[in-house]
Amino acid sequence: MKLRNAFPLLVFVLVALLSVSLAAAQDIPEGIDAAWWSNAAQPYAGTTLRGVSESTPPSNYVRDVLAPMFTAMTGINVELETTSWDQMYDKAIRDMEAGTGIYDFVYIEQDIIYGYLANNYLVNLTEALADMPELAAPGFSFDDFTTFIDYFKDAEGNVFGIPMEAFIKVYLYRTDLFNDPDIAAAFEAEYGYPLAPATTHEQYRQIAEFFTQYAAANGMQMWGTTVQAVSGHPASFYEFFESVVPTFGVYNWGINMENWKATVENGGAMNSDAAKAALEWWVGNLTFAPPEATSSTWDEVAASFAAGRAAQGLVYGENAAWIATDPTRSQVVGSVGVALPPLAEGVLEAAEAGEGYIGYYDGGAFGLPVSSRNMEAALLWLQFVGLPEIQADWAAAASRIVMDSTYDTPQVMAADEATNGYYTLMREQGYLFAGAPPFPFHPQLREVVAPFIYEAIAGTLSPAEALDRAAAAADAELARLGYGS
Amino acid sequence: MRRTRQIIDYALTYGLWIVVAAITLLPVWWMIVVSARSRVELFNAPDLIIRSFYVQNYTDVINNRTFQGYMINSIIISTANAVLVTVLALMATYALSRYKLVGSDNIFFTTLTQRMAPPAAFLLPLFLLFTQLFAVGEGRSRWDLYDSHLGLILLYCVFNLPFAIWLLKGIIDAIPPELDEAAFVDGANTFHVITRIILPLAAPGLAVTLILSWIFAWNEYLFAATLTAFEARTITTGLAEFVTVTGTNWGAMAAVSTLTLIPSVIVVIFAQRYIIAGLTFGAVKD
Amino acid sequence: MRRNRVGWLLLSPTLIILFLVGIVPFIYVLYVGFFEWNLFSSDRAMNFVGVNNYRRLVFDERFLDALWVTIRFTFFAVISQLVIGFFLAQSLLKNFPGKVLFRIVHTLPLMIAPISIGAIWRLLTIPGFGPIPFLLQNWFNIDYNIGRNADQAFLTIILMDIWHWTPFVTLTLLAGLSALPAEPREAAMVDGANSWQIFRYVTLPLMRPIILTVLFIRIMDALRTVDEINMLSNGGGPGTATRTLGIHIFRVVFPQTDYGYGSAMSLLTLYFTIVICWLLFVSLTQLRGSRGNDGGER
Repeated sequence: MKLRNAFPLLVFVLVALLSVSLAAAQDIPEGIDAAWWSNAAQPYAGTTLRGVSESTPPSNYVRDVLAPMFTAMTGINVELETTSWDQMYDKAIRDMEAGTGIYDFVYIEQDIIYGYLANNYLVNLTEALADMPELAAPGFSFDDFTTFIDYFKDAEGNVFGIPMEAFIKVYLYRTDLFNDPDIAAAFEAEYGYPLAPATTHEQYRQIAEFFTQYAAANGMQMWGTTVQAVSGHPASFYEFFESVVPTFGVYNWGINMENWKATVENGGAMNSDAAKAALEWWVGNLTFAPPEATSSTWDEVAASFAAGRAAQGLVYGENAAWIATDPTRSQVVGSVGVALPPLAEGVLEAAEAGEGYIGYYDGGAFGLPVSSRNMEAALLWLQFVGLPEIQADWAAAASRIVMDSTYDTPQVMAADEATNGYYTLMREQGYLFAGAPPFPFHPQLREVVAPFIYEAIAGTLSPAEALDRAAAAADAELARLGYGS
Repeated sequence: MRRTRQIIDYALTYGLWIVVAAITLLPVWWMIVVSARSRVELFNAPDLIIRSFYVQNYTDVINNRTFQGYMINSIIISTANAVLVTVLALMATYALSRYKLVGSDNIFFTTLTQRMAPPAAFLLPLFLLFTQLFAVGEGRSRWDLYDSHLGLILLYCVFNLPFAIWLLKGIIDAIPPELDEAAFVDGANTFHVITRIILPLAAPGLAVTLILSWIFAWNEYLFAATLTAFEARTITTGLAEFVTVTGTNWGAMAAVSTLTLIPSVIVVIFAQRYIIAGLTFGAVKD
Repeated sequence: MRRNRVGWLLLSPTLIILFLVGIVPFIYVLYVGFFEWNLFSSDRAMNFVGVNNYRRLVFDERFLDALWVTIRFTFFAVISQLVIGFFLAQSLLKNFPGKVLFRIVHTLPLMIAPISIGAIWRLLTIPGFGPIPFLLQNWFNIDYNIGRNADQAFLTIILMDIWHWTPFVTLTLLAGLSALPAEPREAAMVDGANSWQIFRYVTLPLMRPIILTVLFIRIMDALRTVDEINMLSNGGGPGTATRTLGIHIFRVVFPQTDYGYGSAMSLLTLYFTIVICWLLFVSLTQLRGSRGNDGGER
């Protein structure tokens, strides 16, 4: 018992020491041709590149470690404005729309790329590098990336963003509870099958119920499951449409991609029986969730789990590493297991056949706005962020992986062990997950549909009624936006 | 009999004000309690006593260069704005009070409407205005109001000036115009009259204007968040970043919030007298 | 005539700033309000639609819902502030040791940034470690969760606003009360009026102008509250229980990038606010005029 707890701690300390020493010394990792970089950057030395990103662990690593490293090598300064999730979009969009040129690089979350492409906000990186071969860095290749880079390509295969983070939303559970023989026996006695990470929604619900009652009986501040159900913030919309509804076999938010319709009458599936069952199940889970669930965005869900207040839950993978390893933030270090989310019948087969997906593959890239005033220098910077040599420490510090080669580095293998296989799961079964559907109107539609989900959470609308009205509102909004009218 | 009544009266007043003070202070105190907690202690049961102080929440913030910059920006912007508003409001109010200007009543109400508009829709035109219209130069040497101290200083005038004029109107109206007439007869010009006669007499009102404008500028969030990026970000935007961004790092957020509070508390303690004196809005004259 | 020119000269910097940073954006919003313009629509164009945006507003359930939330919020918050503030101001008229200290403490919330206020109240009410849900649960067995219960959340934003703004009302009314002439009250006392009668027939009528002023300012600001509610309720939840007009417009204009419709919505809201405030303003200036104006007209 003791040893098992100590091991991840040791790994964490090692990894932390390693990254701290790297950050402090700002050594340029082996394999990078520093001479080429300083030479190529010579005409641009002294310029300052400005970018905007959400303040997440991967972005903070860029700001604190990669930017100084790049500056030391090239003399080009990099300033990264890390702001809130909402603000980031507003600011980037306003800048690019007005063509102001405030930002030389912007964070592009995978779900907004289609809107940016439709509006021609971004520089075609493939073309730019072909046109300016003197700026094409040795050691940088679009082919190094995982298939996640495909989300940032247009129909012809041109790349518009350099992936900088990617992770999947996984099913986390508490190994210390699930592996406890007494608990397992009690569970089996009550439900008639052995306690294990749920594979169906019914099992998931029963496990949640069991642990909620177990915690209440033992005076623990713990509940059966997390729910990312903040009622009023889009985080709840996202958990439902990107992580829950697909496990019931409804994809692309229930929008029919042929005619851009949401209602069942018009060929959509947003208010289909499966979607309604999904919302019913998801909202029903709140009974077995900690009281903060209805105030929880992605961060708070991770915090609840890290505080030991939930036995299982769907958690964004960017948090998996620190929950499992960082004792200054987490009380469940060493007792975190990962698994695929519970699924309805046939969904796994459909996903394996490439006809669906079982959850959310999240991530983002850095792109170069057309309005940038320092395009050449920014192009160098983006390639630097995409060098294989800098990936491993970044992955260990912020649990994000954008290149296959990163999986085999010692840093990531250590982290994989500490998280009981999160990285292995992502590597081997990541293909079952998918990013947001290719909507050029992503936030527009979300804002119209989300309030109905909020109302379902608050209980002012029944799940069925909420989805019926949401689908009707979606149809109206899409027609207004000129899609499939 | 009379004495007992007085004692009861006293007791009631004290009781009332102790309750009011407790209600006022407890939320603030709780914030300080949270600011003393580390991340793993957050979910501990509510406890109003601070048993251990996690200083790192504060030191992390204070030693953070970005945060120091935010603090300096906030000080520059709110001070410059408060001074500008007070000077302009004094001039404007004197004009409104002493001259018969066509449509001056409407001017007054129109200036007030600026404060009534829902802020969100005005962010877009202001952004365009700041980046496209109020811009000089081209390319790298281009300068515009966006992300500049001046931009926010001017913008806050829109909110502070109407309020300031309103506040000062009654005070300047109450200064007998015979005083300026006498000075004019003695050969003084308008500048002299305003600085030598009106200014000293309206000093308490001007102090309030200065303080209230300063506080508004210090506290404003939405416009500062939208119209700045790197150079002119203020402390409130920093606070919002701490909340939305680090999500669950409530301790650090509470620490930032507490730090933001300190200048305001100093202002309250030292300027209390003026604030009360100035809040008459000219509605009561004697 | 020469003197008037000086008057305009003194006024001109104010007018220029207000015009450039205040009126110009307003004209732009007015203009955009006649277009259907969403950055991410399929044609991306600004299409002139006349008053259609305004027509759409009248039937927009979400907008009306937000309007109703805002009106209820403003009504309950401002009325409570006025009653509590008057009561407290009256009690501050007496002299008692420690009065200044209490007054300073009472002024504190006024000085705190709205966004901090939202954060403070969120810390108080957050399920899991906030003291309010904890105490209500332990002492009264009340299940308090503003992420879940719409009525509790709505009540909480009102309480927060009362906490924040009552001091303003108290201080302003106190300033008014201390400036009241003593004679009418003394005369009434000599005539044997009791304290309620003095309050009702002497103090209240004399205080009317200042009460209207306070109402004017508070209503104007309450109708456009965004920062603290947005921070407390994480964007207007649960459901749409605390989604005020300010929050709603923000979401329509920014995440939804529906510039045309959002502009129309803002203008209608502004119009609505102006009407309310104008009524108060007119009754205020008339009251002031009837009390014998000695300073304004010269």
